[in-house]
Amino acid sequence: MLTKKRLLTLVLVFALVLTTGAAAWANSAIFWTAPNPPQEVFWTEMAKRFMAENPEYNIQVFPMAEAPSSEATILTAIAGGTAPAASENIFIGFGAELYESAALVPLDTLEGWDELIAARNMEGAIKGWAFPDGHYYILPIYSNPILYGWRIDILEELGVDRIPETYEEIIEVARLAQKEGLFLMVRPALGMPTWWERWFDFFTLYNAISGDVPFITGSEITADDEAVIDVFKFYADLAKEKLILTQDIPDAFATDNAIWSELGPWTFPGWKEQYPEMVYGETFALTMPPIPEHHKDDAAGNTFADAKGLVLYAQASEEAKQAVWDFIRWVFADPAHDLLWMEATSLPPVRDDLADNPVFAEYLAKAPELVPYAESLAFAVPPFTHSDFADIQTVLSEEGLIPVVRGTKSPEQAWEDAKAAINGILNR
Amino acid sequence: MKRLSRGEGVTGWLFTIPYLAYTIIFFVLPFLWGLLLLVSEWNLISPVREFVGLGNLLEALQSRRVHAAALTPFKIMALFLPAVLIMSLGIAVLINSFKKRQGLLAVAFFLPYLASGVSMSLVVKGVVSYTSPVNKVISNIIGFVPDWLGTPSLAILVIALMIAWRFSGYYALIFLSGLQSIPGELYEAAQIDGAGRIKSFFKITLPQLYPALYSVLILAVGLMFGVFTEPYMLTGGGPNLATHTWYLEIYYQAFSTLRAGYASSIALYNAIAVFIVVGIVRRIMQAWGRAHGWED
Repeated sequence: MLTKKRLLTLVLVFALVLTTGAAAWANSAIFWTAPNPPQEVFWTEMAKRFMAENPEYNIQVFPMAEAPSSEATILTAIAGGTAPAASENIFIGFGAELYESAALVPLDTLEGWDELIAARNMEGAIKGWAFPDGHYYILPIYSNPILYGWRIDILEELGVDRIPETYEEIIEVARLAQKEGLFLMVRPALGMPTWWERWFDFFTLYNAISGDVPFITGSEITADDEAVIDVFKFYADLAKEKLILTQDIPDAFATDNAIWSELGPWTFPGWKEQYPEMVYGETFALTMPPIPEHHKDDAAGNTFADAKGLVLYAQASEEAKQAVWDFIRWVFADPAHDLLWMEATSLPPVRDDLADNPVFAEYLAKAPELVPYAESLAFAVPPFTHSDFADIQTVLSEEGLIPVVRGTKSPEQAWEDAKAAINGILNR
Repeated sequence: MKRLSRGEGVTGWLFTIPYLAYTIIFFVLPFLWGLLLLVSEWNLISPVREFVGLGNLLEALQSRRVHAAALTPFKIMALFLPAVLIMSLGIAVLINSFKKRQGLLAVAFFLPYLASGVSMSLVVKGVVSYTSPVNKVISNIIGFVPDWLGTPSLAILVIALMIAWRFSGYYALIFLSGLQSIPGELYEAAQIDGAGRIKSFFKITLPQLYPALYSVLILAVGLMFGVFTEPYMLTGGGPNLATHTWYLEIYYQAFSTLRAGYASSIALYNAIAVFIVVGIVRRIMQAWGRAHGWED
């Protein structure tokens, strides 16, 4: 038989356990990182530090599954009611799909949004991330402006003393390289319909001419026709003279087979290991995308931004959303955390002051190849916002760019066909 | 017929339940769910789930991508079947000719089957890359480097041979067990009657291998409708959809365009295509078997 005293003790212990459990539950949240170990390391460290300062919180960090794709993982989690409170690794096109499905929280309605944007110094950068209803559903974390690398050591050997800036100048230099058995560029993706590859060949060049003109607005094609045809014609000219190779040569740019290549900041950590002879300013230089000669005075000078951010999922409990939002605000309130991010991942954080803020100066001095990326953040345009992003870019490949590169369609015809196919998708 | 006792019936059900449950959970329910999905335009999470009736099935019938996906298995099959049959039979005959260490040899040939499709694709990608030693030799002979993955017929050839390489060791094991069950007296009698090695192969070995051949052909033909990793890694379905397969299209619609209903309708067509083609192959093989004295 339990004595009264023992019974009271048991009740007290039980009440204590319940209270503690309830407190932990109230401040618990699950956060999914990208399936990329450096990003997982960063977020795990952040959660550890946050919880050390705020022991009443319990932020659990897990990498999202990569197979079959991170998008499918998120969709199935939402469908199954097991989505986390928040996740990163969301680009604006997929964000549009989630937004249309009412799966996201409008972040600008949460307490502390304005302060977060001000603290992270991203008032300028955030503008391109507004959704059609005027709200912000994605907080951009990093943005990889796509720049072009030139092998300046080879250019020097070819007798070229100035890096080409226009399509016409590039073709001239490519012909010189061809005489030496080199390709201007090696890009097998130019023969593949993989939708996201168009970010790194078509949209990078298109954005340089068209600037902020959106490719798609709502359910309409609002692309700059002339800019699209200019880009198609450039690739057609290069392919016709066999100045580019659409077959594979592994690491063609670093192995002296090509003199020009699109490069993202993720390239360099690998080079440091595998190609230490690739030194910024000595063997290669970085430039913004080229433009046609006739646009030299009026081109926007933009590039494509491979940018991703984080979202909060509507289906999470209010307590979990609040806990993870507190965590996110804490992470981005301190520029030292963005420095840690850059050190861990080499991916430029989305900040208007990345190139000027002294917090990043020492790191950028040690990694000078990242300075051009930091400086071009303001000119980096994220992907267009439409839920049919994959279909649109696939038909842009199949009806537009690939036939142009293969020489089976004129640039004008290819764009007409691609437009018709895209309209078919938009009117579906 | 003797009726089962109550206890025997329960035992029978206990043994059957795991498989029944497996079948219901992983086959029947997903199939029913797929049927429900294919009449809707839905991304699995949207609060709006549009009923489209047969719209997805009709759209798939008119899709250029689905037409390409339906044709590709036959293009690969035309190269893969002869290649894999010759390779696997050759391997089986070779292993069978050894008196010792047959197991070791069989494992050696079986290894490619155990390797992941992704790693094998990377190896092949290296072999067909522009500056590979293979291409250097070819270039010296014909004067140019073939665009292996950018030319439709060559891309199909590469993928067919790659799958044949992967599966020949596995199919060889099936043929090996068939070879080892052929009575030696048949060959001795044929030899006495003056039959040579080639005649013996076609008149004795091949007909006697009917059960193994039947299994291999059904497996190989079915495999063609599920090709994914090789074109996904090497060509992305190109050039110009020449290597676009059923699974690539289902994957693309389900996980890139996020159209679950439409992807389900393509999966249904895929299942119907497998059913019909495997059925035809089965009939042909059974007719061939009967002609050689085998019963159904």
